[in-house]
Parts: sequence; C-alpha cells; structure tokens
Amino acid sequence: MTSSVTTLWENRNALGLLVRRDLSVKYQQSILGYLWSLIEPLGVAAIYWFVFGVLYGTGADRHLGDANNSYPLFLITGIFAWSWANAAMGEATSALTGQARLITTMKVARQVFPIGRVLGRFAEFVAGIPILIILAIVFGELHFDWQLLALPLAILLQTVFLTGLALLLSSLNVLLRDVEKLMRLGLRFLFYATPIIYPLALVQNADMPGWVKTVYELNPLVGIMQLYHAIWYPEMFPSAQLLGVTVGISLVLLVGGWWVFRRLEPAVLKEL
Amino acid sequence: MATPIIEAEGLGVRFVRNRRRQMRIREMFIHRSNRSPNPGEFWPLRDVNFSVNAGDALGVIGRNGTGKSTLLRLIAGVLIPDEGKITVRGRVAPLLELSAGFSNDLTGRENVHLVGSLHGLSSNFLKKNFDEIVDFAGDQVSSAIDTPVRHYSSGMKVRLGFSVIARLSHPILLVDEVMAVGDAEFRKKCYTTIERLLAEGRSLVLVSHNEADLTRFCNRGLYFEQGKLVTDGTVQDALDAYNSVVRS
Repeated sequence: MTSSVTTLWENRNALGLLVRRDLSVKYQQSILGYLWSLIEPLGVAAIYWFVFGVLYGTGADRHLGDANNSYPLFLITGIFAWSWANAAMGEATSALTGQARLITTMKVARQVFPIGRVLGRFAEFVAGIPILIILAIVFGELHFDWQLLALPLAILLQTVFLTGLALLLSSLNVLLRDVEKLMRLGLRFLFYATPIIYPLALVQNADMPGWVKTVYELNPLVGIMQLYHAIWYPEMFPSAQLLGVTVGISLVLLVGGWWVFRRLEPAVLKEL
Repeated sequence: MATPIIEAEGLGVRFVRNRRRQMRIREMFIHRSNRSPNPGEFWPLRDVNFSVNAGDALGVIGRNGTGKSTLLRLIAGVLIPDEGKITVRGRVAPLLELSAGFSNDLTGRENVHLVGSLHGLSSNFLKKNFDEIVDFAGDQVSSAIDTPVRHYSSGMKVRLGFSVIARLSHPILLVDEVMAVGDAEFRKKCYTTIERLLAEGRSLVLVSHNEADLTRFCNRGLYFEQGKLVTDGTVQDALDAYNSVVRS
C-alpha cells in the first residue's frame, strides 16, 4: 500500500491536470460558467426551504434547536456539502469507464482518475463557502470561536470517506456495469438517510426501535453533516461516539477501497 | 553487456471470454486456483522471454490476434501480467492511439498543453516549442488550433497527437501502425522523425505488417504465433518465419 501511495504522490501533476481539465471542459460551454456550481444547490435548497421551511414550518417542535430561526442556513450548509458528495460519488463511478482510452494508452497511477473526480467537486464546494459565510452573517450565526474548526475537520473526513468510496465504486463499475445504475438509487437513499433537510435530533427523538437509530448513525455522512452544522450551531457537534464511528468507518472505507482497487486493477485494465 | 532496457521473463496474460456471464463477486477477490480450469479463458501471450538493449529497434511480427498489441500494452505499463514479469528501464513514449488523450471539448491549443503535460513535458518547454509542434502537424491543424478538437478530422487529431508525443525525450518508443493513418506527406514526416529519434539512440518497438517499414527501421525481429514467441532474431529471420507461414 505504501508503494502505491508514493506513486500517487509522483503522479500529483497528472492529478492536477485532470482536475483542471474536467473543470474547464465543464464550464467552458455555459454562459454562467462557474456560477452553475452555486445555482444548482441553491435552487434545490429553495425547493426544500419552501416545503419544509414554509409549508411544514409551523409545526410544533421541529427539533431544530438553535437553527430554529435560521433554517435556510442549516439547509444550505447541508445541501452544499451534499452536492459535493453526490457529484463526487456519481462521477467517480464512471471515472474509469468514461476515460478508458486515456487509461489504456498512458501510464499514470490509475487511482488518479477517481480521486480527481473527488477533488474536482471539492473545488466547487470551496466556491460555495463565501455564500455560506454571507448567510451566516445575515442570520447572526457566525461566531469566531473554536467551533469554526469543525469545518476543516468535516472537509478532511468527507475527503477520506469520498476517496475510499470513489476507488471502490470506480473499479467495481468496470467489472459490473450495474453499479452505475444502482448508484442512482443509492444516492437518493443516502440523501434522505443523512440529516440535511431535517436535524439529527428529530431522528434521535423519533419513536423508532433503538437498533434503527444505531444503523442510521453508521452512515459516516451523518457525523460529517453534524460537523458542518456545528460550524454555526455548536450544540449539534457530534458526540464522541458518533464522531468515533464516523472516523472509523471513513478510514475503513479508504483502506478497503484502496485495497479493492489494487486487487481489481489487473482485471480492470484488461476489461477497458 | 549492458543491462537490457526492456526485459520479459516468462511473460503471460490471461483473458477470459464471456467474463460477464461467469463472473461472481466471490471470484473477483479470491483468485481461482488451477483446480478448475475455465473453458472460456485463453492466453493472448504466454511464456514470452526476450530482452531489448538500448538503441535496438525491434519489429514485432505476427498475424492478427497473436498478441502483438497486448505486448505493446504490457511494455507501456497499461496492462498488468498474470504470469512472469516485464521490466522496463526508462520511460515510454507510446505512439499507440495518438488521439487518445484529447478532450473533444477543448481546443487544439489546450489539448497540446494537456497531453504534453500528462506525458511529462514541462509547460515551459511546451510554450517554447508550441509553434514547432503545431507546424509539424500541418497547415490544416495550425489554422484550426483554437477551435475545439471535436471539429477536427481523425487525421488531424492523429497528426497533432504524433507531433506532441514525438517531442518526448523518453528513451523507448512504441509504435503501432500509426504510419497507416496519415496521408503520404505526413507519413514521410513520420519516417524522418522516427529515423531522427533512432539516430539519437532511442529504442523502438514497432508493430507492423508492412515489410518495407520493418526492414527500414528495425534491426531485430520477434515473430509471434498464437501468443508464443517463435522466432527471436534479426528482422529478416522474423519476416522469413512470418512469410513461410502466411504464403504456404
């Protein structure tokens, strides 16, 4: 494993080039260009805000806590982070199949292709951070405090989680093309299985058997999302147990994804 | 004797026909042992041993489907052998699928920079030599250099790809029938370029069915038959072996 990590490092130039290529291809042909990476999640957030903020907003206890008066900020923070995860997982799945001709003629560490997709989408997430800060100022939730450290921690964990998953999905998809189709359903499922439009407290206080809640918290995105929320609402900072589970499962996914990728690489190259 | 620049020992690759039907998740991780030989599997290359010294020009000869392109992919490092090993000492400039790295939505200019950098050319070098690279590709390409590659003809893409990769200073050249694609004028340019690169002491591995090309460039020949290396000698030996099979 260490040797493949060093080859990946040696290929960091190629990684950067591919990320830049993907971004410039993507935004070259649209007039609004880079703004699209913001418009799309903001549009989605507006829809959820209308349904859950306006239509259902008058309900009794929504368990939003501190976020009760700034639901749009809560929502948009989650949607931005989710957009990164969603797009990275979706695009990483086809990272090898979609670039087969490049992969079969050029010798670069093959890990570069799925990881490039994760990083490319991270660049778009970064572009949205100023919007989050403006919203936080508007709602008076920006506190210069230790809680801002939740952001780098959340980003780090999400990168680990997504990289592992990207390696796993991209290599499996070459051998079993069904993975790509399955992912469409899987991503939708994952969206609702993560506290993005609703707070985690709502799940924890729901009338459900305990094991359902335990299984729910095994999704690393739950802990990661809580870290994002904690940037503005410290009370949402994940418990030590939830944080431990999140870190543990993300790391297992990274090591496992890397292992599977290495293991399948010979077969993948034949198949492309 | 100097250490060979390419060395193959007991090299073999196994492909499986109709893999999709036979694949089980379990089998992807647990390597099948030899107790259950799969009827669909075949070896495009097996038990191949040879070595190439720096400066050699090696012609690879054989009928269609005898593993020649597989061999090039193994040398290029874009295929991992199932048996034996292949050692390549030095970087490889693959003149294989020349338009492979191009993104259709980017302009010719952007693609030159992208593909050049992916192959390890520095952006300084590319800027300095940009005009030369484009001129080499011909008038058609240089007048269209700022339009997306999508609008290029396949010949234009191949020419631009060739002019970029021919700039690489890598010691090993892999050539797979590229000369067949361009028109007569471009083919002539390719010939002079390859001769120049050979004169600089690079090593060449050429896959071709064209006897004139093979005798022109190569001093050594490998003749393959059904995935086995049959003749390893001068290019004339290999061609004789090939012709005796084909013409008989």
